[in-house]
Amino acid sequence: MKTTVYFLLSCIAFMPHYVYSFCGFYVAKADTELFNEKSEVILTRDGFETVLTMSNDFKGDVKDFAMVIPVPTVLSRNNIKVVDRYIFDRLNGYSGPRLVEYYDEHPCYRYDYRMMEKMSVPAMEVMEDASGSMDFDDYQVTIEASYTVGEYDILLLSAEESLGLKRWLTDNGYQIPEKAEAILEPYLKSDMKFFVAKVNLEEYGESSYQNLRPIQIRYNHPRFMLPIRLGMSNAKGSQDLIVYAMTPRGRVEATNYKTVDIPSNFNIPTFVTSQFSAFYKDLFAKAYRRNGRNAVFVEYAWDLSSSNYTKCDPCATTPPAYSELIDAGVHWIDYEEVSGWGGADYAGNLFFTRLHVRYDNLHFPSDLEFHVTSNVTSHQGRYVMNHMYEGPIDCQGDTDLHYYLKVKDRREDELDNLVYYAGWDKNKYRSYVSAIDTDIERSDPENKRNNLWFLIKHFGRNMLEYKATPHYQYVVVTLVGILGLVFMRRFALRKKVLRVQ
Amino acid sequence: MTANRLRHFLRDARHYQMTYLSIFLMTGILFLEWYDNLFHYAVLIVTALCIQSIGMLAVNKYSDGWWKSALITSLGLCLLCKTGSLQTTLLAAMLAIGSKFIIRFRGKHLFNPVNFGLIATSLITQDSWVSPGQWGSHLILLLVLGALGFIVLAKVQRWDAPLTFFIVFGGLMYANIVCYKGWDFGVFLHSITSGTLVLFAFYMITDPMTTPNHRTGRILWIGLVSLLSFVLVTQFYFYSAPIWVLFFMSPLVPLVDRYWKAPKYVWAHKSPLVIRF
Repeated sequence: MKTTVYFLLSCIAFMPHYVYSFCGFYVAKADTELFNEKSEVILTRDGFETVLTMSNDFKGDVKDFAMVIPVPTVLSRNNIKVVDRYIFDRLNGYSGPRLVEYYDEHPCYRYDYRMMEKMSVPAMEVMEDASGSMDFDDYQVTIEASYTVGEYDILLLSAEESLGLKRWLTDNGYQIPEKAEAILEPYLKSDMKFFVAKVNLEEYGESSYQNLRPIQIRYNHPRFMLPIRLGMSNAKGSQDLIVYAMTPRGRVEATNYKTVDIPSNFNIPTFVTSQFSAFYKDLFAKAYRRNGRNAVFVEYAWDLSSSNYTKCDPCATTPPAYSELIDAGVHWIDYEEVSGWGGADYAGNLFFTRLHVRYDNLHFPSDLEFHVTSNVTSHQGRYVMNHMYEGPIDCQGDTDLHYYLKVKDRREDELDNLVYYAGWDKNKYRSYVSAIDTDIERSDPENKRNNLWFLIKHFGRNMLEYKATPHYQYVVVTLVGILGLVFMRRFALRKKVLRVQ
Repeated sequence: MTANRLRHFLRDARHYQMTYLSIFLMTGILFLEWYDNLFHYAVLIVTALCIQSIGMLAVNKYSDGWWKSALITSLGLCLLCKTGSLQTTLLAAMLAIGSKFIIRFRGKHLFNPVNFGLIATSLITQDSWVSPGQWGSHLILLLVLGALGFIVLAKVQRWDAPLTFFIVFGGLMYANIVCYKGWDFGVFLHSITSGTLVLFAFYMITDPMTTPNHRTGRILWIGLVSLLSFVLVTQFYFYSAPIWVLFFMSPLVPLVDRYWKAPKYVWAHKSPLVIRF
């Protein structure tokens, strides 16, 4: 009985500091440097009904904040909401990469251990705005709608041409990048509207919120995309984006970029515990480079339907509940009393996908386009640590020696994984493997381990412990098929249907 | 004897197609790391061969080259069809090959088997999908695959098909993305160099058995397919549109064949030379 002890680290919070902006510009009146460490969005999609929630971790003076996002339709007032930031932390906590720890049993007897869990939540940050006049006659810019929602003043603009829009934005105090009109143009031509948000200082002053809250918009349109190109115009280097996508059907994947499962489910050395976030960062960076720097990574994919009782394994936190899902924009589920252990307090189908994109100007020439597939395979960033049995081991026979040799091999493999997946230098950690040597010496004074018969036994033991893959069904069907083919050929030959020259 | 074998190999266009698709698949497995699906591929190939074998025995046409077209179909399915379970994999292979024997019109099967397998499976089970983004955008790789594709097509004399497709679909996309919307050329290139499109152009709409026999008819028909795909992709953001359009346009092929008559394509002409090996 092995016990798992895991903790989830929201590594993304420790990603390198990049200046970036997501899905539009963060624009400021003053030339203040605006730092955002990561951007996160929640994207739910049922048919054409899409809900997009954007988190703001804007740092700086609130009055300098403004955001410009292209949206496919003019949104009505009740399709714009301001939601609490907690929902992002909940989803991040639930779906982040996780470290699983196993403690070896006593090789001679069996043991049980306690379980413990720990998780770290990313820190919240503040953000900002600009304000301007409403003079729009000369610009050929139409204000389709204007609302105050929560602490934000929101405008929906449509424009005849990009230069006018750019001038309008500049003249109204939005500082947008130099070459912005070239980027605005394609969105205007695609008949998209511009969603412009800035902070209403009166509302903000009255509210008790310390930070600007995420904005949630809802629209019905066949287009399922995130306009990352707009944000690239004022960005240096690459930017990280996390998408929490939820659909009633299955995984969300990119249609114009490769979607790849993040490498997962392998053993890593125990000393990685303290450096797990560094490890995950390097692992991600390596996977990113291996995939040509233009892939979309699946960090988590899980069926959260009410009919599925295993909503995570291992669970980093409790899976999201009805009220949280409603806040996240999942509108197709119904409330239901919790029934039975592992049951959900909602009824309906729900599939959760967490995508991680590191994009830059060069490798992501076009916006991220998505589609919903019927793929319901689970995936999670799960890394396994095996702790060796600590304490004296003195079994009868060679059991302890077999155990130590196994641990040594395992540690060697763990180091290889570290090199292969994260690109760390193996030679720095030689002592991790050689630490076993003293135990081996102690349990094998007669140097039995070089005896051929012993090695054969050791090999046999390892084979017995080896677990078969769950793909055996496929193998059986393939073999039966091959037999069928052979049989049919013989049959054809006997009946003289087939003549061989 | 070796030369004879080689000549025999080169005579049949299906060998070219097989090689071509295998290169495509090997590229995916080796460079794009599609290891997870190896069992899925094995089941697809073996099932397709079994169904073909049963079908050939049933219609009493079991001859030496019975396996060739089934192998081509199954390789095509490996490249395009993704499924969530073993049952769906089996169903996809069965439907693809089964359609060749069941849905026939005037001695030609009506649907491209891979196309039929993909669409019918996704309609029946909701458990299969196509990943248009699975190739990433490796420009060089796709150029090489495109060039190899033309060699295959020169053999079956169908090089006009992908050319029409790329001229019409690519031209419209260029006009829309670069000329009208004002995106960079890179955006256009990115939209047109998806592996799925290359496979569609060089493999699906060039199938000599399910496309119109006469060149004029074929060019018109493919032009129509390209136009509809373009409309679906740009107006409805439907990214696997070409595959669906092909499915619904296939029943038009007999009509086109009626107006523009040409002899049906024969895979390997019987030659007076007797090949022994």
